[in-house]
Amino acid sequence: MKQSNVLIFGYNEYGLEIAKNIFSKYSNVTIFSLDNTDSIIDKDTGLKVENFDLSDDWSSLINDYDLEDSIVFCSLEDVAKNIFLTISLRSAFNNLFIVALTNNNEAANKLRMAGASKVIPIVETTANMIVDMLKKPIITKVLHEILYENSDLKIEQVKIANAKYFDGKYPADIEWSRDHGVLVISIAHEDGSSEFIYSSKTKHQLILNGDIFIVVGYEADIKEFEKFVGVNNEN
Amino acid sequence: MNFFIRFLVDFAYFLNSSVWYQKKRRFFYNILENDDYKYKKYFDIFMMILIFSSVSILIYEVKRDAHDYFQFFNNYIISFIFFIEYMLRFWISSSVSKVIIHQNEYVDMLNRKFDFWYVIRRVLRDKLEYIFSIKAIIDLLAIMPFFHELRLLRIFILFRVFKLFRYAKSFQTFSSVLATKKFEFFTLSMFASIVIFVSSVLVYVMEANNPDSPIDTLYEAFYWSIVTISTVGYGDVVAVSQEGQFVAVMVILSGISVLAFTTSLFVSAFTEKIDDIKESKILQDISKMQRIYIICGYENIANEVAKKLIHLDFKILILDDSPQRIENAKKDGLMALQYSPGSVDSYKKLNINMSTQVKSILCLREDDVENVYSALTIRSINKDINIISLLINHVNKNKLIYSGVNEILYDKEFVGLIAKEYIGQPVAFEAIHTIRSENSTVKMEEILVTERIANNIVYVQNLDNIKYRIVLLGIHKKESGRFYFNPINDTLLEVGDYLLVIGNYMFIREYIKYISKKIKS
Repeated sequence: MKQSNVLIFGYNEYGLEIAKNIFSKYSNVTIFSLDNTDSIIDKDTGLKVENFDLSDDWSSLINDYDLEDSIVFCSLEDVAKNIFLTISLRSAFNNLFIVALTNNNEAANKLRMAGASKVIPIVETTANMIVDMLKKPIITKVLHEILYENSDLKIEQVKIANAKYFDGKYPADIEWSRDHGVLVISIAHEDGSSEFIYSSKTKHQLILNGDIFIVVGYEADIKEFEKFVGVNNEN
Repeated sequence: MNFFIRFLVDFAYFLNSSVWYQKKRRFFYNILENDDYKYKKYFDIFMMILIFSSVSILIYEVKRDAHDYFQFFNNYIISFIFFIEYMLRFWISSSVSKVIIHQNEYVDMLNRKFDFWYVIRRVLRDKLEYIFSIKAIIDLLAIMPFFHELRLLRIFILFRVFKLFRYAKSFQTFSSVLATKKFEFFTLSMFASIVIFVSSVLVYVMEANNPDSPIDTLYEAFYWSIVTISTVGYGDVVAVSQEGQFVAVMVILSGISVLAFTTSLFVSAFTEKIDDIKESKILQDISKMQRIYIICGYENIANEVAKKLIHLDFKILILDDSPQRIENAKKDGLMALQYSPGSVDSYKKLNINMSTQVKSILCLREDDVENVYSALTIRSINKDINIISLLINHVNKNKLIYSGVNEILYDKEFVGLIAKEYIGQPVAFEAIHTIRSENSTVKMEEILVTERIANNIVYVQNLDNIKYRIVLLGIHKKESGRFYFNPINDTLLEVGDYLLVIGNYMFIREYIKYISKKIKS
């Protein structure tokens, strides 16, 4: 699923924050500005800032980027323009992965209807974060560290390529923490469904190749676990 | 005399410094006069029950003979309770010892002679001021049946109804609202009195000698005038002469205007005061609350946060200086006050203990200047309270830190982190997101290790979480303030630690019951 190109539409604080967080992991990150007339280099990130308009001429985009291998962020501040951009990209590129940002819930629905693959509702997400901080401060802090900060503890998705390793055992019967030093939280199947590790279904469903385990653990332990069951072992 | 004065002053100082005496005095003051005192309402309800039972006995007695017990209860028990209440109010209405001490300090400072008669005059003035206040007179009249069993005096029981003004806050609010239009009501009543007086005299002069007219006396003329001006018009007493009917027309026309003015005065008094009434009700409610979350500013994020917190039964109060935003908050059914979050006075007016009653303050204006200002104001009042603030422009982060904010939320950075995690590991991100969403049956919970749990379960290996299909993510140790992921079996459980678990919320509930009940093996 990991694409090589990241195209961020919207030269603003949201666009720059996204760029800052991902440019170390992606070879090709480009920001597109609706206002600039000439291409520039952003001073803070050193990334290319190219211009675009809302006409339906995407020829330069098609020529310069492999859009099948790209992920697009629509983060224009003007809600109407952001929706228009999303619908334009979707109508031009059926398979493009589009993540759209919005400040209000009403626009979130419109963006989904416009074809955004994923919508990040900023207001709701921030509000959820605040409420979580008040409701469950410790969980929020721990999860924040696991998900977003550079702690040794990580949450990773591990794709099973060596199901034989489990020798016909059901997921709920394995003592993950004792045997592997990691905790398996849930299992996502190839058909898109996912189950909590101790749900009734996982008690009766064998582990298959292609299943994705969501594991929490220290980086080294996860790597070790991957060696046994994951894609690395297959290679 | 000097010896007596010396004794008086010593006794006054003794009372003033006696913890027991002052405690009792404060208790009675709170129960009788302090609306914010939490037990006052029970006292008020008790007194109202006495009043209603007293009036019920009076009504019952009109056509039947009440049992002697009722008579005794009404005449003696209730009256005695009212008498005790009257004496207590008399006692707390002013402090005699303070007057003596004040006079003593005054004469000491100026090296003068203690003026005993000044003290007497001052004490009498204070006490008489209380005795002749309307409320005290009503109280005294309500005790009257206690002193006299004459049937006529039983009517004084009705004065007990007036005592309701003391105990029911809404009556007090009603009278205070009308008091704001004192001048208008006075003018109107003067006008009505003149019309009644003139018309009574006129109709008496014109009708009294007419044999066909039912108006024979000045009292009947006065009665006719009142009935006519009030637009009631019973029709039992009417003017029959042409002149008398002309006066009636004039009185009727005046009556319409008097009634219209009176109604409009009532309406305008309440319209003008309605916000104040609501505000004082909110302040009264807040003063009794615990674990309050104050949200400073009511814009998009605050709106969303408030909705979610209300859904979780959190007690929240919105403060904002914008009338429009406060109006929006009220429309959303929230407790909101148009107080500036950046003013110390706003928090003083709330009349709450910030340390014990307020859990957290959220500065959620979408403007860094306002949030910094509010945070500084709050920090200047209370050093320990938890403050969470939004950050709109990252260049202002340090300013929020310096103003004493405990947690800063920068939504743009947050969006960047989400984007990174989402495009890097979408399945893992979705899995965690699902667990955290409110509708999921699988929840992530923090379980506080109580003394009971710590006594029952000593080590992690005894937790039995797998039996309840629960994942133990780790332990947050109170002592170190650190999170220990996947703790080893012989990790000790201590009071104040938190277990972070993931599981079906039904199982988690059962599990909490289990570990709280588990008997140490």
